[in-house]
Amino acid sequence: MSEIELEGVVVITGNYGSGKTETAVNLALNRSEAGLDVSIADLDLVNPYFRTREARENLEKHGVKVILPHDRYMFADLPILVPAVAGAIRHPSDLVILDAGGDDAGATVLAALGDALGEARALGRVNMIQVINPFRPFTDTVEGCLKILGEIETASKLKVTGLVSNSHLMEHTSAHDIYRGYELAEAISRRTGIKIEFVTAHIGLIPKLDISRFNCPVLPIQRELAFPWNPRK
Amino acid sequence: MAKVLMKGNEAIGEAAIRAGCLNYFAYPITPQSEVAEYLAKRLPEVNGVFLQGESEVAVGYMIFGAAACGERVMTTSSSPGVSLMSEAISYIAGARCPAVFVNIVRGGPGLGGILPSQGDYFQATKGGGHGDYHMLVMAPDGVQEAVEMTMRAFPLAEKYRGPVMIMGDGLIGQMMEPVEFPDNLYTPPTNKDEWATTGMDRRNSRKKNIVKSLYLDPAILNSHNMLLKSQYDQMKREEVRFEPYNIDGEYKALVVSYGTMSRVCKTAIDNMKTEGFEVAMIRPQTLFPFPEKAIHEAAAKESCQCVVSIEMSMGQMVEDVDRSVKGQKPVTWFGQCGGEVPTPEAVMEHVRSLV
Repeated sequence: MSEIELEGVVVITGNYGSGKTETAVNLALNRSEAGLDVSIADLDLVNPYFRTREARENLEKHGVKVILPHDRYMFADLPILVPAVAGAIRHPSDLVILDAGGDDAGATVLAALGDALGEARALGRVNMIQVINPFRPFTDTVEGCLKILGEIETASKLKVTGLVSNSHLMEHTSAHDIYRGYELAEAISRRTGIKIEFVTAHIGLIPKLDISRFNCPVLPIQRELAFPWNPRK
Repeated sequence: MAKVLMKGNEAIGEAAIRAGCLNYFAYPITPQSEVAEYLAKRLPEVNGVFLQGESEVAVGYMIFGAAACGERVMTTSSSPGVSLMSEAISYIAGARCPAVFVNIVRGGPGLGGILPSQGDYFQATKGGGHGDYHMLVMAPDGVQEAVEMTMRAFPLAEKYRGPVMIMGDGLIGQMMEPVEFPDNLYTPPTNKDEWATTGMDRRNSRKKNIVKSLYLDPAILNSHNMLLKSQYDQMKREEVRFEPYNIDGEYKALVVSYGTMSRVCKTAIDNMKTEGFEVAMIRPQTLFPFPEKAIHEAAAKESCQCVVSIEMSMGQMVEDVDRSVKGQKPVTWFGQCGGEVPTPEAVMEHVRSLV
């Protein structure tokens, strides 16, 4: 299986509920394990539950630097963007993952980081990824995904440079469902020329996959944002 | 339709459309705002109407107006917003109009917090607004059940001509699960000619329909209330829904819990079962009418030493559990609120300590 190549600043975007945070957290753990110096910032100003901050303990245990608002604002119901994020963009570790919120509303925060991102982009260090799950409303077609892509680019003032197929129905996902997501990402890639960075698959499903069907790496996913009745798995 | 992955809030919005509700008025509040966001996108696609009111007070009366016109109508909110709507809910119950209210409950009292809670149990089941009224209250334990309950809520509201509430804690609105929308849950509206203000030229009736809750003559107001009471009694006979869990064997304790809390309790019960410690559960799916008989019977089992109401509130449902058990076995409360959901381990430790 080929290795994920992403380095520098990686902005994770996508439609609401596409699985950005689970992708971002797993990417951070995976790259950290591969020996990279990884930081992750929670820029999700949209979602009130299931945010990166909930995976903080596990990330820090694995050597990932987590950039979050101060503890006392942990449950704030309003947007907070800490200055440390711009600092991390200007002086990036090997990999800086910015977990943005969903849709154009969530991507708007990136425009507020325009100065820092502009400098990094001039140095060729900024990637912006669109995470796609075809089982989510509004993104089951190429047209639906392209509409979100356009809205995110407008709101963020950045260009999408990579696609991630994060196709799943949680514990009800089949190998076929993963292929379906990959095929959608391929169709978008053919239409736009944007490359597929990787596909995701739950770690338990990987043995059932025909990896030769993918012309890109596979990121194994372990659920890091769990329900209170189920432990992390 | 194949399975899709949806947040509870989005799925409730889609379920309303599938139930034939094309009128949705709301005011955003965490943790239910995704319903409004979803329906703002979806309703125009099906020629429906989404209007954001200037406040929840206004929204409550927008619901009243649409309901009085015989239209299927829904709003969604969270705790403080539902408090603001409570006056309109009382008027709607008094005027006998069908409408669906969804409360994705957050921590209280007051502004409280944005994390999940079940602290609005009393508000939902015992009134909230003024006067002798009840709502039929359903409490889903996941996204699929939220869909089914939302779709059933509209015909039930029409059957009883009153407000029906879906009460989900914040997690029910925020969590994502695979979901399907069963077509067979759609039913066409009935009987609205008998009461709705649709215009004389649009119905086969010469009777004037007047929608109101004002009855100054005490005898008439009394008989109006007697009619409402007879409907609440009918609900108690016909609409009680509950899920029994691990109820067939010889259990030492009976748990009563609903919503997110019941899923934690199921994990705890499964874990205790592997240790040979049997615990049963009744999960009320309707909070009003309450499954009194089922709880009474489950508590009566000889092996059952005690009953515990486990809630994400500070001892609310326990009053109804106590009323149902009628002194056969000791009834106690366990729970947590403020946004923290008790863990399966905490539930296990507590239940073991009771026996």
